[in-house]
Amino acid sequence: MTTINQNCYDSVTEAIRREAAKLLQEQTVAAVVGYVAGRRPGTASPAVAKSAEDAEKLVFSPACVNNLALFLSKAKKGIVPKGKTAIVAKGCDLRALAGLIGESQLNREDLVVIGVACAGVFSAAGERSLPLSDANIAAKCRECTIHTPEGVDVVAGTLPQLPDFDPVEAKELARLEAMTPQERWAFWKEHFSRCIRCMACRQICPFCYCEQCLCDRNRPQAVESSPRPAGNLAWHIVRAMHLAGRCAGCAECERSCPMDIPLNLLNRRMAQELKEQYQYEAGTTPQEKGPLNQYREDDDQSFIK
Amino acid sequence: MHSAEKKHDFEPKVVAFVCTWCTYAGADLAGTSRMQYPPNVRVLKFPCTGRIDPVFILRAFQKGADGVLVSGCHPGDCHYMAGNFHARRRFAAFRVLLGFVGVDLNRLQFSWVSAAEGGKWVEVVTELTERVRAMGPMREFKELEQEEQWSATLTTPELQQAYESI
Repeated sequence: MTTINQNCYDSVTEAIRREAAKLLQEQTVAAVVGYVAGRRPGTASPAVAKSAEDAEKLVFSPACVNNLALFLSKAKKGIVPKGKTAIVAKGCDLRALAGLIGESQLNREDLVVIGVACAGVFSAAGERSLPLSDANIAAKCRECTIHTPEGVDVVAGTLPQLPDFDPVEAKELARLEAMTPQERWAFWKEHFSRCIRCMACRQICPFCYCEQCLCDRNRPQAVESSPRPAGNLAWHIVRAMHLAGRCAGCAECERSCPMDIPLNLLNRRMAQELKEQYQYEAGTTPQEKGPLNQYREDDDQSFIK
Repeated sequence: MHSAEKKHDFEPKVVAFVCTWCTYAGADLAGTSRMQYPPNVRVLKFPCTGRIDPVFILRAFQKGADGVLVSGCHPGDCHYMAGNFHARRRFAAFRVLLGFVGVDLNRLQFSWVSAAEGGKWVEVVTELTERVRAMGPMREFKELEQEEQWSATLTTPELQQAYESI
């Protein structure tokens, strides 16, 4: 089993505290969005530091799983005080920030981004009392391409030597792709039938910031709202479709899912298609228009008669 | 004048989402030219293919359609300049998503039919209808519509009785 050295997280914590205290003392920012240690060992929760004393409590550990970009979206307004904000961001959070900037939800000038050299975080079901290793690292971190942050104001910590992880999610995606449509239908039916429609996947998504979700509307009702298999399938298709070309791949939907539905597979499949077709990839540089908001006259139309 | 109607075991329900400027006019032309095409198709008129939300297609399948046709202006002919270009990308993505979830994509047809192509409309509708007829009813969505998921199990006779009396 390959374990990741814990020391790198301590150096990140130190750097975040130093930077956050400085920014708050100088009153460059009104608040720093970061993580504090949870009450139980091996946990952490998002927090908004508003003073230099608060900044001393900020941490970074493998338990810092949340995508903090969420708290800057319109859907969560009021959590972070008005004014310039500093945010602690892992690689996946940086992509979400870039996405929100691209969609004109945020101004880069109003942000101070503290990029974290992130070696990985725990998976939802991973054992948290042990150090981060092959056994309890999140699936997204196994295939992470952005361990060292880019385009940030401050880089916190340095990256240790990382082992090569087995790309579990990519393998699962390939396995599904190789199935027949009937087998795939059975696979998704089994998963979607368990959905209890708690909407955690929507609430945790930085890109689900619509003031009224299509799926909450009745008259006309687009998607059945009770947790029955038919409506569940519709909801998950609609969710994947609305995130296509926007999703930053932080896999928060999958992590927050209480029924362990592999939602990131849907997101991954869409991202893969948009990359093949339109050479679009979610990255750390904001792009003004996503792949489904633009077109080329010579787009593929082989499927159209 | 009418050819003798053939009896089929299965008459598929085909829903066609069409744009008002091209395909609807094309279908109209087919009608005024007295061309024959299967009556299985239900035409729904939209301002533009860009207005056709993927949710509509999903909804059509859920409500019992066996096949869905989406048709609009040829690229470059859009009344609103670029509606069909945007729709093209959206449907390309949606098609992949449906395929990934396990829907047979032979039931979903996209086409460009202009106002002058009454013959092409007849051809597209006939081909889709016959293909869906050969495939049989769309079982997956209909079965799903009937299904219920119970998080609890009926462990006692009282619960079982209460459930049966619902």
